[in-house]
Amino acid sequence: MNRAAILWRVASFAVAAGFIALWQLIANLKLVSPVFLPGPDRAWASLVRGFSSGDLWSKLAGTLEHMAYGWLAASIAGIAIGAIIGSSRTMRTYVAPSLEFLRPLPVSAIIPVAIAMLGLTQAMALFVISFGAIWPIMLATIHGFAAVEPRLYEVARSLQMSRLAVISKIALPSASPDILAGMRLSLTVALILSVVCEILAGLDGLGHWVLLSARAFRSADLFAGVILLGVTGYVTSVAMSVAEHKLLAWQAAQR
Amino acid sequence: MTANSAKALVLPLAVLVAFEAWARATYLQSDSLAPPSEIVMALFGAFADFSILTATRDTLFAAFAGLAIGTVIGLALGIAFGISDTLNRLMEVTVEAIRPIPSIALLPIALIALGFGYRMEIVIVAFACVWPVLILSRAAVRSIEPRLMEVARALRLPPAQRVWKIIIPAALPRIFVAFRLSAGIALIVAVTVEIAINPLGLGAGIMLAQQALRPDLMLAYLVWIGAIGYALNVLLIVAQNRLFGRAAMSGGGQ
Amino acid sequence: MASAAKRLEAVPATTTAQIAFDGVTLVLGGKTIIENLSLGVRPGEFLCIVGASGCGKTTALRLAAGLYQPTGGRVNFDGQPMREPRREIAIVFQDYGKALLPWRTAAGNVSLALEAGGMPSAERPARIEELLRTVGLPGHTGKYPSEMSGGMQQRLQIARCLAQEPKTLLMDEPFGALDAMTRQGLQDEVLSLVAASGATVIFVTHDLDEAIYLGDRVIGLLPHPGRIGIELQVNLPRPRDQLSTREHPEFLRLRRQLFDFIKATEQ
Repeated sequence: MNRAAILWRVASFAVAAGFIALWQLIANLKLVSPVFLPGPDRAWASLVRGFSSGDLWSKLAGTLEHMAYGWLAASIAGIAIGAIIGSSRTMRTYVAPSLEFLRPLPVSAIIPVAIAMLGLTQAMALFVISFGAIWPIMLATIHGFAAVEPRLYEVARSLQMSRLAVISKIALPSASPDILAGMRLSLTVALILSVVCEILAGLDGLGHWVLLSARAFRSADLFAGVILLGVTGYVTSVAMSVAEHKLLAWQAAQR
Repeated sequence: MTANSAKALVLPLAVLVAFEAWARATYLQSDSLAPPSEIVMALFGAFADFSILTATRDTLFAAFAGLAIGTVIGLALGIAFGISDTLNRLMEVTVEAIRPIPSIALLPIALIALGFGYRMEIVIVAFACVWPVLILSRAAVRSIEPRLMEVARALRLPPAQRVWKIIIPAALPRIFVAFRLSAGIALIVAVTVEIAINPLGLGAGIMLAQQALRPDLMLAYLVWIGAIGYALNVLLIVAQNRLFGRAAMSGGGQ
Repeated sequence: MASAAKRLEAVPATTTAQIAFDGVTLVLGGKTIIENLSLGVRPGEFLCIVGASGCGKTTALRLAAGLYQPTGGRVNFDGQPMREPRREIAIVFQDYGKALLPWRTAAGNVSLALEAGGMPSAERPARIEELLRTVGLPGHTGKYPSEMSGGMQQRLQIARCLAQEPKTLLMDEPFGALDAMTRQGLQDEVLSLVAASGATVIFVTHDLDEAIYLGDRVIGLLPHPGRIGIELQVNLPRPRDQLSTREHPEFLRLRRQLFDFIKATEQ
């Protein structure tokens, strides 16, 4: 980053700090009841307390676990199913319209069905999170496979490449930008559904933590949890972007 | 009916018929599944006693109210950040810090502040809608033909008029695309809040059906929610094509 | 004027031909692209095909590659009917950008052909380096296609095709998208590569000079439907030279003949 960019960054942080100071001021003046709005000092104290002596670590781990298992299951299934559908024009003609119909459906509506089938359990959460997270990945995979440059398939035919080789050496790498973008979107979905399932089923995690804090009117703990959720969302998204960048280095070379 | 749209129906019809046949053959007794015929009956029943219509009205009200508020705020900020690069850069850290917070995480805060009901749901939907509108309208403003901005300056238009007469009309096609995306998000978030905790609307309806061990009614709600989502999407795409035609294509008319 | 298309009988398909079209007809989308085309390419021969746009020369090449199956008649390779593409027939496409894998380096792209041929991974790096050097891309092993110029990308594609150890090399207007200087350089490189490997070549181009410069024989196709309109033996000395060959009286005579043919077909 050049000097000007660094200066702007610093100024931007200063502005953010200003907002935090404003928040502190509002809290100190009790313009909003401290039951609803704790000052940043109390939220921070709660964060520190939660990590050092409380069980915020296990709550964080709980949410991350839910996210991770659901997202991984969704990735494997989504890429596999998406590859099968995307690589065959017949399948695309018959299946794609149904998928387009299902796409705008709020995935959280599957939750009651999952509860009916599996009760208020971890299994229910895993099912819901996987189900929700599979859509961006599967749709992106189908699109990526459908968009493979036809000339490359002709090259593959000319080289008499096996079907497996065509999928692994040509179709998958060609579709990888789309697939990785889909996986990044799925992370967001996985986080949201983890929180919802934790709230509904009382499963161990940050969602449950913030709900309990709200019920007990412990606003500092509540805000600490919300901030932590935001940080989780941010860090996982950035981690995914970095991975994308590394894996798609050849795309960067085009610029 | 074209060959392609006929093919599109093959899979869903086959699934429905197979499901119906299997349920009948096994005399299905389940808390979670019901044959399509019973689902349709439950749907008609819910229409007949207006329960599903009331729920639809409540959900759509909350979703649209939140969408409206979120769009207005997102648009105002997006235009401001799009016009003023200084403002945009200064606010970058703040925006990037708040944006990743999942809207559903605000649910407990809204709950203790506002209690159950419309207001808390509207607030959460609004929060979720602000970000896509902000980001996309900011991009739309930035991509306005510079020549137009020069014209505005040459005509010595006051800032308010510059926004109203030049910037908004020029960026409108892409702003509408942002609005369309946010409408989908609004519906999803509204239903999610209702399923998680709020005792009103379609989300509450489907949860109540599940708790009452009425899988036919529960799946009827599920189908109806899907239909609403689909219809909303189609409606907005038609509106987009009508209003903007080719102008909106560059913004991604899908 | 004798510019009317000469309707010569093509060289009949013989069993000594490497690639033989035996009464080939191709109908695509209701249109007859090629009708009753018979032609034989001898092993080691450099055959050029020219013709106005839409005369079916690219289609004929794709038939030779096995990418299309004829509607009528047969395409034979080494005396056997060809039902699908084979590794011994390598095809160099005109749109080189689309025929290279953007996510693999130059080495990776060449490697693809070696992998398909089953070469053990330990032996590949040496062969890749050798091939890249042959096409004039030494030291570019780690570059991505997007980092290379058009001429370099086309050379890379040629390297990948050579990695197939082809008996026949099919080239579809390979230098059409390149500037004149690059084109001339690549023409000479192709000639030396082919001379060294002894491969049979079918070279499609719309550039009449290029066809005569490169070929042992030039065939001109008539459009709608595609069929042979003219056939010329190119008795120019090898190795060819960009300056002296192009000034040779025989070159100019052939050029005149081809030019008249094309002009006649365009009316």
